[in-house]
Amino acid sequence: MRMRRIMLGLTAVAALALPAVAQQRIPVGHLMDNSGATSDVGVPYGQGVADTLAWVNASRNGIAGRPLNVLSFDYGYQAPRAVSQYQAWSRERVVAIQGWGTADTEALVRFVTRDRIPFISGSYSAALTDAGGKSGRQGVEAAPYNFFYGPSYSDALRAMLRWAADDWKAKGGQGRPKYVHMGGNHPYPNSPKAAGEALAAELGFEVLPAIVFALTPGDYTAQCLTLKSQGANYAYLGNTAGSNISVLRACQTAGVQVQFLGNVWGMDENAMKAAGAAANGVVFPVRTAVVWGQQAPGMATLQQISRVSDPAGTAYRPVHYLAGACAAMLMVEAMETATANNGQITGERIRDGFYAKQNWVPRGFDGVCNPSTFTADDHRGTLRVGLYRAVVSGDTSQGSVADLMRAGTMKLEPVTTIELERRRELLGW
Amino acid sequence: MSATTPSGDFRTSYREDMTIFPTRNSRIALWAGLALLLASPLLLGRYELGLLINIGIMGIAALGLNILVGFTGQISIGHAAFFGFGAFASAWLHEGWHIPVAFCIPLAGLMTALVGLVFGAPAARLKGLYLAIATLAAQFILEDFFARAQWFTGGVAGRITEPFALGGWVADREETYLYVVVAYVVVMFLGAANLMRTRDGRALVAVRDHYLSAEVMGINLAYYRTLSFGIASFYAGIGGALYAHYLLFVSVEAFNILFSIQFLGMVIIGGLGSIMGSLMGAAFMVLLPEVVQAGADLLAGGAIDRALKLGASISFLREMAVGAAIILFLLFEPDGLAHRWRLIKAYWKLYPYSH
Repeated sequence: MRMRRIMLGLTAVAALALPAVAQQRIPVGHLMDNSGATSDVGVPYGQGVADTLAWVNASRNGIAGRPLNVLSFDYGYQAPRAVSQYQAWSRERVVAIQGWGTADTEALVRFVTRDRIPFISGSYSAALTDAGGKSGRQGVEAAPYNFFYGPSYSDALRAMLRWAADDWKAKGGQGRPKYVHMGGNHPYPNSPKAAGEALAAELGFEVLPAIVFALTPGDYTAQCLTLKSQGANYAYLGNTAGSNISVLRACQTAGVQVQFLGNVWGMDENAMKAAGAAANGVVFPVRTAVVWGQQAPGMATLQQISRVSDPAGTAYRPVHYLAGACAAMLMVEAMETATANNGQITGERIRDGFYAKQNWVPRGFDGVCNPSTFTADDHRGTLRVGLYRAVVSGDTSQGSVADLMRAGTMKLEPVTTIELERRRELLGW
Repeated sequence: MSATTPSGDFRTSYREDMTIFPTRNSRIALWAGLALLLASPLLLGRYELGLLINIGIMGIAALGLNILVGFTGQISIGHAAFFGFGAFASAWLHEGWHIPVAFCIPLAGLMTALVGLVFGAPAARLKGLYLAIATLAAQFILEDFFARAQWFTGGVAGRITEPFALGGWVADREETYLYVVVAYVVVMFLGAANLMRTRDGRALVAVRDHYLSAEVMGINLAYYRTLSFGIASFYAGIGGALYAHYLLFVSVEAFNILFSIQFLGMVIIGGLGSIMGSLMGAAFMVLLPEVVQAGADLLAGGAIDRALKLGASISFLREMAVGAAIILFLLFEPDGLAHRWRLIKAYWKLYPYSH
């Protein structure tokens, strides 16, 4: 009898305590740029991450029954603010962070390595891929806790240059094509500069002196006239969509005939609408296998995620939204791997979760997220670069992005997919 | 020495007249406050300590600007550039010359003072708006220098710095770095308070109050105006160096004109021409965004958020609230926090016969 009472009491205590354990939320940081120089693409990407994490909480009951507690912070693309926010988050004991820009991510490398906090950045700087710090490149240190979804800026540019070299031949161009790097004097546009110029020279391009234009929209007629007078054939746009639009429009007005190669953040559906016909023909990498409106097995999941912030289900989601969802899902699945065998969700175990699968596509995202493979000393998740061309065939000033895409006035046309070799000597560059 | 100031201020010696903390109670409060501050790493979390460190660092730099603006009556809208110069100088001294960080900080202060003297030279001849524009030039020249001088600043990518170390003791966390900052705050604030009691300090005030009379009394205007820039830059440099070894990363982005204006805001909110006011203004400017952020976090996802469809724009609230607070302060508290603090003290001293 006495035994039974004790047992009963214990069960009651356990019943009370269990929900408390189950409800303990997992703190995750989310650094966004909603108001700074790169907010044009930071907003859709951040929305993609936020919606996906909210959806994981709502539909999958978080990670192994523990919901995520997402702590969002808009740092306005100011690296020092990101660093101080990182320190504030250490109070909340975040186990992982969804990050953003190149300057802040590179500044935080040492901190996240020290504190063992996986950091999934929106920056694809190649310097972040050298997980073991074995490349020996100047300014590149070991970044074992830094991850990102997609090809690095350098690899994306290498793929575009390979395409450009073929394109030049296919078009029957005479002599050596001229290549120029354009972008702000900032770590993010600078990141692939040397790598791109080196490969361009190797491929037989004549490399022109780089042209600088700020990360914010402005009048870039002078830059376009330089482009014209130098006779550039291929120009890399290293900035984000907002300032690239200004360049595209100014160059259209100036009558510059050049093939623009956009950075992965340099072009999207919103930019196509804003730039109109000036955006026609820009080639840029797309990180997902499909874009919004196309069919794929995983698109149903994406539509559910989209409804988190758009219950009507009518919003058009640009390419960055999809990339944000994939990046968030890599982190979520790495966390799930960490909880296997009753494991604790610690930074180290999440990091190992990234290494658990080869050709990793998050469950339910088939045909949307491209496969990624991370290893303990190589964080180049993918070397496959899907190139698309922005096609604008009419007036984009009327109607929403969704209407224009549906009507075919604006199209994202697949150009080619370039598979780069995984060369060790290019790690971290 | 009595606990409170007696009614009627009877000071019979110069020594008594010069004392910084006139009553026993104010001294007790000082020592108790200092003891509490030194014990705070045991009581507070890393976030709160981080705020205290920031207040200390900003306070030192704001004090420099207050010496220039509040005490000498000059103007500078390039203070953040000098702050940045100190930060980069300290990082550079350590990396390029392998000088221990503990020595880099004062050396960076001296380097910044030299740069300040150069950029302060126009102050010998210019006044008011003209001087403001001249210092604006300093802001832009230095900012551009930071972005391009790869050897000195690491270029636009910024520079990773090392934590403060003295002997075997490394201050790489908030709990330990707080002591470094507190030590500097005490030294720098005592230094400023004492400076204002010297002939040179009084000369600065005389220049502010009426430069013609000052000149007639034999004060070299050009000398003291330029000196004031040097001192202000020294303080900015020390603050910047402390900042560099706290964040462990310096980048040109931080030291823009907005940051310069923020320093001016600190000085005005704290109280022009008040030593303690500089610290109060810095505390206000550091804490206000955090308070607003906490408020925005509370709002996010709540009923008001849904009703007004704030969504992503809630993050703009922070910026707007900071701006609004400054305007309100200028309207309702033009003499600054230091003045309000004096009124509060007087209220309790005279209670219940305040009228």
